[in-house]
Amino acid sequence: MFGKSRKLIVVLLSVMVLSLVLAACGGNKENNEGSSNTAATESASPSPEATETAAAPTEQKLTDGLGNEVTIPANPQKIIASYLEDYLVALGVKPVAQWSVPNGIQDYLQTDLKDIPTISYDLPFEAVTSFTPDLLILGANSTVEGGKYEQYSKIAPTFVLGDEVNSDWRKALLKIGEVLQKKNQAQKVLDDYEAKAADAKTKLQAAIPDQSVAALWLVANKFYVVSDKLSSGAVLYNDLGLKVPNVVKEISASGTGSWNEISLEKLADLDADHLILINSDKSTGSEALKDPIWQSIPAVKNGHMYEYEAASSWLYYGPVASSQMIDNVLKDIAK
Amino acid sequence: MKETSMKMSLAEQQRRHRSIIVISFLFIGIIVAFLISMNTGVIRMSPLDVLKTLFGFGTTQQHLVLFDFRLPRIIISILIGMGLAVSGAVLQALTRNALADPGIIGINSGAGMVILLFVAFYATPAAAPVYLLPILAWAGGGIAALLVFIISYRKHKGLSSNRLVLNGVAISSGFSAVTILVSLRINPEQYQFVSTWIAGSIWSKDWNYVIALLPFIVILLPFVYYKSQTINVLNLGPPMATGLGAAVAKQQIWLLAAAVGLASSCVAVSGSIGFVGLIAPHLARRLVGQRYQTLLPATALVGGLLVLVADTLARWILQPAEIPTGIVVAVIGAPYFLYLMFRTKG
Repeated sequence: MFGKSRKLIVVLLSVMVLSLVLAACGGNKENNEGSSNTAATESASPSPEATETAAAPTEQKLTDGLGNEVTIPANPQKIIASYLEDYLVALGVKPVAQWSVPNGIQDYLQTDLKDIPTISYDLPFEAVTSFTPDLLILGANSTVEGGKYEQYSKIAPTFVLGDEVNSDWRKALLKIGEVLQKKNQAQKVLDDYEAKAADAKTKLQAAIPDQSVAALWLVANKFYVVSDKLSSGAVLYNDLGLKVPNVVKEISASGTGSWNEISLEKLADLDADHLILINSDKSTGSEALKDPIWQSIPAVKNGHMYEYEAASSWLYYGPVASSQMIDNVLKDIAK
Repeated sequence: MKETSMKMSLAEQQRRHRSIIVISFLFIGIIVAFLISMNTGVIRMSPLDVLKTLFGFGTTQQHLVLFDFRLPRIIISILIGMGLAVSGAVLQALTRNALADPGIIGINSGAGMVILLFVAFYATPAAAPVYLLPILAWAGGGIAALLVFIISYRKHKGLSSNRLVLNGVAISSGFSAVTILVSLRINPEQYQFVSTWIAGSIWSKDWNYVIALLPFIVILLPFVYYKSQTINVLNLGPPMATGLGAAVAKQQIWLLAAAVGLASSCVAVSGSIGFVGLIAPHLARRLVGQRYQTLLPATALVGGLLVLVADTLARWILQPAEIPTGIVVAVIGAPYFLYLMFRTKG
């Protein structure tokens, strides 16, 4: 009896400590300038180069990805488009608040989103209300489940892209362009990107013909490899036409996520000529990189390993992120 | 002889007096917590603003925040606390086990499993009708409890409390095992949804859910209270209760059904909030004693107060982010539970 209750106490204690630790490490990133007044002055009006809107924009009615009919104001000034900031930046629009999680924000967009206050990724109703937005754009269906759509639309007109559009940045870009009445601009961003990608593709074919590239993400001492069709894999293999290493093909076929775990054994077989490493373990010493197996990978041995911080665009998806990835590849791999 | 009976009735009178005081204090506690909770949130609203808004003189924004975001959530918290606590008190009496709570007859794990299966097979819960998830959770909790009940029931003997507890633990672990197995095969976004749900985030917070939950509470709480004398008798154990003339098996079934109805409707709306059903009756027992006539109202009030305070803290600690209420309840609950463990041993 004594032993049993003691064990229980230990378990309970550890639960308590764990939950406290969790609560504590979530709490340090606070943004105190959430008052609506500062937010209002910070949200500059949409970019001046919006020449296409020569005819004064009018209010429009659109049907969103979930079938809701949304009345979108003619010239929304205070937009919240959480985790869709990439598109807004591409279209030259400044949101009134930006996506954040307890331990981070989208660092790669910060040159454009500097000084914009953050809002928690789960968009609590009151936090949203405090910015007095005039348009909400949401991505995945899951953001509005449980009757949340009704509540959000009481705060401001709410447009949900829906899973199908949200998972393809080209579609999402054009859709958001339509919502913000910047259709032509969105098309131009897309065309520019395709041109840039095509140009980079030719350069890469000249610089490293027929060589393969893999992208690995190191986090918490585990390696993940990007899928050959999703996320930054879509940029590398689809847009830039780089060769997919066999191991990556194999893992992508069995995995479902954008990034799938790769075991050390498989890592030893990694037949890529060039390796892109996104290192989220830098602050904790990147122990995994000292492993002899890692050291023995051909690309690492030959010095064809390019390391990027977790803050870089590689873990994200969108026109700006993809464009930055192309810049990285051109600069580091095809030098 | 005469003297002792007089003494007893005097003690009894004192105890009743004390119970009334305790219950009034708890009631005042809820009102105070209610007022504080109305003033808590990302958007600053002074008590005066709240008052103005309540009487229709606030700005549109204040009106929206108070009536659409804060009030439904406060009311749901209180209702859930009451429902889970009373359900726990009833189950503790039926099983004559101080550690019983709604989780022990599989309600939480049953509801959790059904939610997970639904999310795993229909990838987009958002497209589903608003009420679907709560109804599914309700069904899952009910099925789990029914299973436990069927396995534990013996003709002529009624429900054996030990069997009920053991079967409950077995069925819960079985359902949790399935939940974990399936959760390994869903994508991260779905998993996040399910884990938030299981952590007990009060995620359905509009008036629709208040309306959906209210009938259960309004019907079942008075029903259980009406049965409080029976619960007192059942608490003595089946042989004694039979001796005192109670139709043990029949009463057990009614009360169990009420406890399951209360707990699964609460779990359906709130996700799995543990500990309330366990702690609230213990706290109340310490305050007003064993008699269910006073214990039940005290338990309901303690439960309501506990969840309301936990939810207010959940909204306040990490502003502007929110932590699941279930976790706050556990953080408050675990130390108290520890304290109980040490006390009982000493």
